[in-house]
Amino acid sequence: MQNEESLVRRAQHHDQEAFAQLYEEHFDKIYRYVTLRIGNKTEAEDMTQQVFLNALESISSFKWKGIPFSAWLFRIAHNQVVDYLRRKKRTAVPLDESLASNDNNPQLVVEQRLDIEQLLLATKQLTGAQREVISLRFAGELSIAQAAKAMGKSQGAVKALQHSAIVALRKALRVTEDE
Amino acid sequence: MSKEFDNVLDECLERLLVKGETIEQCLQSYPEQVANLKPLLQTALAARQAVAIQPPAEFKAKARYQFHSALQEWASQRRRPFLSWFPRWATVVTIVLGVLMMGGGTIAAASYSMPDSLLYPVKLATEQVQLALTPSDIGKAELCAKFADRRVAEIIYIANKGDAQQVEAITQRLDERLVMLARLTSAPEVAEAPRMLESPPVSSEEAGDDKDVQVKANNRAKLRATVANYAINHPAGLRAALEKAPESTKPALRRAIAVSEAGYERALKAWD
Repeated sequence: MQNEESLVRRAQHHDQEAFAQLYEEHFDKIYRYVTLRIGNKTEAEDMTQQVFLNALESISSFKWKGIPFSAWLFRIAHNQVVDYLRRKKRTAVPLDESLASNDNNPQLVVEQRLDIEQLLLATKQLTGAQREVISLRFAGELSIAQAAKAMGKSQGAVKALQHSAIVALRKALRVTEDE
Repeated sequence: MSKEFDNVLDECLERLLVKGETIEQCLQSYPEQVANLKPLLQTALAARQAVAIQPPAEFKAKARYQFHSALQEWASQRRRPFLSWFPRWATVVTIVLGVLMMGGGTIAAASYSMPDSLLYPVKLATEQVQLALTPSDIGKAELCAKFADRRVAEIIYIANKGDAQQVEAITQRLDERLVMLARLTSAPEVAEAPRMLESPPVSSEEAGDDKDVQVKANNRAKLRATVANYAINHPAGLRAALEKAPESTKPALRRAIAVSEAGYERALKAWD
């Protein structure tokens, strides 16, 4: 795989192939991140598409000043999530059943859906910042350094936040299991 | 809890989630922290379920198509001043000649083409070459899964256009990839389950070998997760497409669903 910096530079020069490669590499992660943040599949689909259209529009303004492209992309996604939550004035809605549907393997469906639903329900108990760090690290699969850049915080601060988020998530998962 | 513990936790998360180590392996490095660390690492594994959230195949195909349309429009914005004085036919000829001379660029552009595109045969030929040039079974298996994902997106795209014959032809290609995938997942290099991760390192001299084993085991685990996700999302995407497809393509789509279900079941059997 070519390094991200070279791909981004080519994309900034309107190289379709380079941008398409960046799109393929990040699409699923951005979708997962948005879904975990808002918990609504239909809205997550629209927002994921919009993230890449926004990136396409503003790629020329992206500058390599210590911020990796992935962190920049997740910042776009984060801003959209914030706008969405502000508009809707709610934190999340229940997960669509179709997120993990497979009529032919009912056991797998039930197990997977339960796991994802429990996780989504549990993340609703977290603070906004805790939910952000869990979404970036576990759905977006960003490293601590990338998550720190995406959140505009120091790595130490994100590590501390990650710790408190996992502690809170553990408590929340226990509660959802008990219910 | 201290800053030091935040670092220990983060290091263990990297080892657990990125390097594919087990909780026990992490705990062995920090025996004094076991009580605090273990429950948090268990929670982290639960949070790892987030990767099971996958965009539905139908949405992914539609989004990819729309994005590439936007991408072409975006790329053409830069070329327009140069080409604007050309007659339309001359512009088309220039672009075709340019594409033919570009070589690598053509291949890259072809990889995103759909079956109704002139570049589609280049896409299929490139895939054959990639498979032939990949030496390892696990690499080949990863490519088979990737190409199967493309075939499903193509079937959904073509089914919406009502071309049953094309759907049949692509389904045949999907079947070929899934048969190959199942054969490869049975190969020892691919089938040796991520269970190997559970064995702790034997000695410090073997640390290098262990890392190599871990990387391979991690690749196998990732492939297993990808195939398991496709086993859910591909038939689901095809079923969603079936609901909206014209009547003429429905029988072909049903066959595609059956092919994808049976194909992934065979591929996953090797890991069970």
